[in-house]
Amino acid sequence: MDLLEFARGPALQFAAYILVAGVIWRLVGIIMLKEKPEFSEPRHPGGLMAALKVIYTRSFTAAPFKRATLYPKMLAYVLHIGLFVVVLLFVPHIVFFEGFLGFDWPGLPNNVIYFAGVAAVVAGIALLVRRLTHPVLRLISNFDDYFSWFITLLPLVTGLLMPVRMGVRYETLLAVHILSVAVLMIWLPFGKLGHTFLVFITRGTTGMVFERRGAKT
Amino acid sequence: MTLQDPTRSPIPYRHGNVTPLLNEIVHALDRLLADDEPTIIDLASLPFAPGELEDLEQALGTGELTAELEALGKSVIRETAYPGVWWVEHRNTGGEVVGRYIEITRSPDILMSQDADIGAGRARLRDSFDGSAPELNKETGK
Amino acid sequence: MKTIPTLGEILQSQGVSRRGFMKYCAATASLLALPPAMVPRIARALEQARRPSVIWLSFQECTGCTESLTRSSSPTLEGLIFDSISLDYHHTLQAASGEAAEAARHAAMQENMGNYLVLVDGSIPMGNPGYSTIAGISNYDMLMETVEGAAAVVAIGSCAAFGGIPGADPNPTGAMSVSDLVKDKPVVNVPGCPPIPMVITAVLAQFLTFGQLPDLDIHGRPTAFFGQTIHDRCYRRPFYEQGKFAETFDDEGARKGWCLFKLGCKGPITYNACATVKWNAGTSFPIESGHPCLGCSEPGFWDKGGFYAPLSTGKFDSGEKLAGAAVAGVALGAAAAVAGRRRQAKYMKEG
Repeated sequence: MDLLEFARGPALQFAAYILVAGVIWRLVGIIMLKEKPEFSEPRHPGGLMAALKVIYTRSFTAAPFKRATLYPKMLAYVLHIGLFVVVLLFVPHIVFFEGFLGFDWPGLPNNVIYFAGVAAVVAGIALLVRRLTHPVLRLISNFDDYFSWFITLLPLVTGLLMPVRMGVRYETLLAVHILSVAVLMIWLPFGKLGHTFLVFITRGTTGMVFERRGAKT
Repeated sequence: MTLQDPTRSPIPYRHGNVTPLLNEIVHALDRLLADDEPTIIDLASLPFAPGELEDLEQALGTGELTAELEALGKSVIRETAYPGVWWVEHRNTGGEVVGRYIEITRSPDILMSQDADIGAGRARLRDSFDGSAPELNKETGK
Repeated sequence: MKTIPTLGEILQSQGVSRRGFMKYCAATASLLALPPAMVPRIARALEQARRPSVIWLSFQECTGCTESLTRSSSPTLEGLIFDSISLDYHHTLQAASGEAAEAARHAAMQENMGNYLVLVDGSIPMGNPGYSTIAGISNYDMLMETVEGAAAVVAIGSCAAFGGIPGADPNPTGAMSVSDLVKDKPVVNVPGCPPIPMVITAVLAQFLTFGQLPDLDIHGRPTAFFGQTIHDRCYRRPFYEQGKFAETFDDEGARKGWCLFKLGCKGPITYNACATVKWNAGTSFPIESGHPCLGCSEPGFWDKGGFYAPLSTGKFDSGEKLAGAAVAGVALGAAAAVAGRRRQAKYMKEG
C-alpha cells in the first residue's frame, strides 16, 4: 500500500473515528454538567431567544474594545472566511463531502479558491507573528495555541502547494495533504479548535445566563 | 472526423493556445532576421483542444509556395501567408500523420536535394545513356 | 557471427531516399519527444545503428500489448521500426512452435550474447510455477534464463511492469513484475493497459538511435513519456480550473466536454503520454472520448478504489464502525460528565 492509499484509506478512517468519538465526548461531557442554580430574580426571560440574541451580538466587538481589536479581528475574519471558501467551495472537496453526505453543492472556480487560500495563509502567518510579539499573548500562549495554529495551516499550505509542485510529485503532495487533514481531524475535538462545534453553544449559554440577570447583551 | 486525418475533431473549443504560439513565431522570426537562426516547433508536443489546430492553420494561412514530397508517404511543405513561416506535415504510406511542425527558416532542410540522393541519381542518370552515346569527356574519369 | 547491416543500409536497400530518411528521423524525434534540433544527431546515429536482436517473452498476459503494437492496417512508423529490429522470438507473431521455437530462442541468445533486448509482457506467477508455462518451462525459469545474456530488459504493459490485473487483490497466482525478479540487468518499464504503441516503439527507437536506455523515473518508466501527468497535459484542464464538471455520463456538461474529475478521472495521479501522443495515431484518448482516465499506467491501479470514485473521496469503512465511535463518544462523555458533576456538587449549593 503506498502513501496515498494509506492516507485515503486507513488514516482517514481512523481520524474519522477519533473525530466523531471526540466531538460527542466533549459535547456530552459539557451538556450533561449541572446548571448553576440562579438565586436572583430574572430581569429578562432568558432562554433560547436570549441565547440566539447573544450569538448575534457577540459577533460585533463592544465599543470600548473596537479600536484595540480591529487588526486581529480583520485577520481572523480573513482566515475563517478563506478557510470556509477553500474547504467548502472547492469542487474536489465538495466531491469528498458528497462521498459520505450523499449530496453536493455548487463550487467556485479554482483561481478564486487559490486567492482565498493564499489570503488565509497570509492572515494566519500575521496572526502567529502577533502572538509571538505581543507581550501579553506571548506570556499566555501554550502548546494548544501553537499546535492548533500549525495543524490548521498545514492542510492549507500543502493544498496550495499541489498545483505548484515545487519538484514534488503530485501524488505525494496529495497524500501529505490528506494526512495533514487526518491529523487535524484527530486534534480538533480536544484543543481550542474545538470551538468549531462549541462556540455557538458557549455563546448561547452565556447569553441565556447574562440576559436573565439583566446584563447588557 | 476521417481516418485520413483523425486529429481533426468536430467539437470546437477555444482554450487560447493559438495566440501564445503566434507570439512565439514572431520572436522566432526576429531571431531569423537578426542571427539567421532557424526555429522548429513540434506541434505534436502541444496539447491542442479539438479545433485549435485548425484555428492555428487558418491563422497562418497559405502563401505563395507549396511543395509536395513523396517519400515514405506524402508530406506537404507549405509556406504560410507569413514568409519564413513554413507548415510541414509528414504522413506515412497509410495517410496517417507522423509529424507536424512549424519551421521558421528561409527554407526547410528537407526541400533541398540531399548529397546522397544526388550521388545515387547521378549514377542512375549516367547509366541511363551509358553505351548509347560516345564518351563526351575523357578528363572527368568516366 | 553474421554481419548485421546498419539501419542506413537497410533503408537504402529498400529504396528509401535521403529525404525519406530525414522524414523518418524527424518522425523519430517527434516520437521520442526530443526537440527538433536533435534531428541531425538522430540521423547520424540511425545511419550507423545495427539491427538488434529482440526476444519477446509473453507470460501471464492478455496479449493486449502485442495487439496494441501490431494494430495497424498499413505500414507505419511502428512497422518500420519493427523492420529495423530482428524479432527473433515472439509467441503470438512467430510461425514456429514447440521445440523449434525454443531452439530459435536459444540460437538468437547465443549469436547475440550480451547484445540482445528482452521484451516481456505479462506478469510472472510465483505462487506455483505451474500456473503459467511455455513448452513445459515455467515463466520464472524462462525469464531468468533468457535475461542472462541480455543487454537490457523492457517490461511492456502494466502486468510486466507492476503485476497488473493478475497481481490485483487477492493476487491468486502470486503474480510478480519483471523488476521484482530481475535485479542484475537494466529494466525499463513501459506500463499501460495497454501502453501506447508509439511509446513502445519509441523505447526501441531510443535504444536503436543512441544505444542506451532512456532516462527513467522512480518507477523505472521513461520520463519522456511518463514524466507528466495526464492532468497537466489534458486539454480539458481549463474546465477543471473554471469549476465546470460533468456530473454524469452524457449530461449537459459531458456533452460540452467538461472535466471528468467528478466521474472518477485519475488523471492527476497518472503519468502517461495519452494526452499528447494520444491513441490510434493521434486520433483521441479516453478523456477526449468522454471517459475518465483509469490510471492504467500506475502500480496497483486496479486496487485504487473504483474507477468511477472521484480521486478526492475518502475510502471510509462501514457506517457501523462510525456509529460505534459515536457510541464510544457518548460513553466517554457520560463518564466525563459524571466526574464533572461530582466535582460541581462539592462547590455548588443546590437551589
